[in-house]
Amino acid sequence: MSELSTLARPYAEAVFKIAVESKSASDWSEMLGFLSAVMQDKEMLAIVANPKVSQEQLTTLILDICQDQLKEQGINFVKLLVQNDRLILAPQISELFEAYKAEHEGYVDVEITSAYALTKDEQKKFVSTLKKQLGKDVQITTSIDKSLIGGFIAKAGDKVIDGSVKGQLQQLAKKL
Amino acid sequence: MQLNPSEISDLIKKKIENFDVSVEAHTEGTVVSITDGIIRVHGLSEAMQGEMLEFPDNTFGMALNLERDSVGVVMLGAYQHITEGDTVKCTGKILEVPVGEALLGRVVDGLGKPIDGKGAVDTTETSPVEKIAPGVIARQSVDQPVQLGLKSIDSMIPVGRGQRELIIGDRQTGKTAIAIDAIINQKGTGVKCIYVAIGQKRSSIANVVRKLEEHDALAHTIIVSASASEAAALQFIAPYTGCSMGEFFRDKGEDALIIYDDLTKQAWAYRQMSLLLRRPPGREAYPGDVFYIHSRLLERASRINAAEVEKLTGGKVKGKTGSLTALPIIETQGGDVSAFVPTNVISITDGQIFLESDLFNSGIRPAVNAGLSVSRVGGAAQTKIIKKLGGGIRLDLAQYRELAAFAQFASDLDESTRKQIERGQRVTELMKQDQYSPMSVAEMGVSLHAANEGFLDDLEVAKVRDFEAALQSYMKSEEADLMKQINDTGNYSDDIKKGIQSAIETFIKTSSW
Repeated sequence: MSELSTLARPYAEAVFKIAVESKSASDWSEMLGFLSAVMQDKEMLAIVANPKVSQEQLTTLILDICQDQLKEQGINFVKLLVQNDRLILAPQISELFEAYKAEHEGYVDVEITSAYALTKDEQKKFVSTLKKQLGKDVQITTSIDKSLIGGFIAKAGDKVIDGSVKGQLQQLAKKL
Repeated sequence: MQLNPSEISDLIKKKIENFDVSVEAHTEGTVVSITDGIIRVHGLSEAMQGEMLEFPDNTFGMALNLERDSVGVVMLGAYQHITEGDTVKCTGKILEVPVGEALLGRVVDGLGKPIDGKGAVDTTETSPVEKIAPGVIARQSVDQPVQLGLKSIDSMIPVGRGQRELIIGDRQTGKTAIAIDAIINQKGTGVKCIYVAIGQKRSSIANVVRKLEEHDALAHTIIVSASASEAAALQFIAPYTGCSMGEFFRDKGEDALIIYDDLTKQAWAYRQMSLLLRRPPGREAYPGDVFYIHSRLLERASRINAAEVEKLTGGKVKGKTGSLTALPIIETQGGDVSAFVPTNVISITDGQIFLESDLFNSGIRPAVNAGLSVSRVGGAAQTKIIKKLGGGIRLDLAQYRELAAFAQFASDLDESTRKQIERGQRVTELMKQDQYSPMSVAEMGVSLHAANEGFLDDLEVAKVRDFEAALQSYMKSEEADLMKQINDTGNYSDDIKKGIQSAIETFIKTSSW
């Protein structure tokens, strides 16, 4: 995984530069998202790894699947990936691209997991406090996990703020 | 101590009451791969070099390789329950171990957890395992002796407090025996001992513990055990753990003696970790920094001055210097001291005690090769009496070695050569000493005096040790005052010299052996 992101980094950087220059970051984000979804399909992975499938066949296949989803530059990008035998990197490229995009636009994606659904007000509060904490604009996505018992866990990249009852119980268990 | 159930629940209640509920912020990563005790973790962008990382089920690892997208972690202990995708938390702490007086008499593992079944270690103090050695301003030169209790070593290769003296030799040459005798001889001197066993058989470690117990020497000793079956990371870390425990005593103005048994195996453990972490191998497949792991460890053994002790204790201890003496052990293969790790450690230490299997097999035990063994700083620390008498012994043995080889071919020798050879044979015989029977300064002084003044020259070589044993028991029973005086002052004044001389003369007249 770590090796894959090392390989994916130059591609993501290049795509991001193009996207910034042509101001089409959201288009690219969609294209890469779609491509990565395609590449996470098991059958697709088997086809990509199959040496009997030639590069031309693979290109046609992918372009057929994607059809209108890909713009001109996107098609070129797919061809390049096929040529370099790096199609499997698509999910990592997409992930890194999103990270660059978030950094460029100055916001952080924060995942908030809570025991109960958050109200609009609560979400707003989260956004404003997290903004202060992280010093950046915050985009939150929420999910519910009953096993937390109460409270919340906020994840921004690899930073985690654990305010859940479950986490506190674990801390207490360690102390005892 | 008997604990009743209500006390326990009270304790727990108190802990729960005092538990402060805080929102915990930390950095997380995910386990990507697990291979041979090395775990790769994705994420953890804020991990520090050497940081403790928390894995599920209260297990810990140490971050060693910080790369762009991943962190290479070595596990400290079992890792069978960890699977790909597990979350790993940063603790924000460099590896720390408990230190303190309460550890004396205990057997602990490489992380300072007790493994002797005597319950928890009652100490709250901890100390990081990796610390920078005291600076030049904080140090003081070595001028007090550590008596190892072995005639051959204390007279010819003296060790001072704060010195690093290497014990080197092949397997089965009595390296550990010297170390154990040294620990036993520290009984009642106030010198605390730490014995670090690295990569040894559990049975050998148990043996050492039992022997120390038998000789009443466990009470002033901490045993840090990282046996052969434990994780390489623990074997690597154990010497640093022991060193931190020793530094605790040094920093409060006391004296401590630490034995690393042995550093060859620590280097092996480090080599294993480094190769698995894919660090480039160098000579003998050791990584590039194998010199540094030993130099930074041994540099921490030092003597610090009173001002530094006062500073470190916050003014509580005044006018006392602290010391940590290190006796690292290195095992050579086939007497090859020019291998990588032996040469490294020889160059780091302030001298070496060189043990040889030939000597050992011919019955000279401890099998010290007096010609190749040196102590670069110990001379300044020697007790006066041993220093005066030891010089003669060293000279006798050196001349004997030179002549002995040559004399094998010559049938008739001149008088003075023959005398020197005979003296040498007797001194060699006198230097033999049984295991677990360390000698006091006075006892050594008497034996050395007897050799220097030629009392042994008329004896048969085979009778030398009987003579010595009889003389020692005579001195113990008849000349207790004189012996006490020597032990207390360490002087070799004319009075003492005359006292010993006349005592031996009376002994020869009145006793048989």
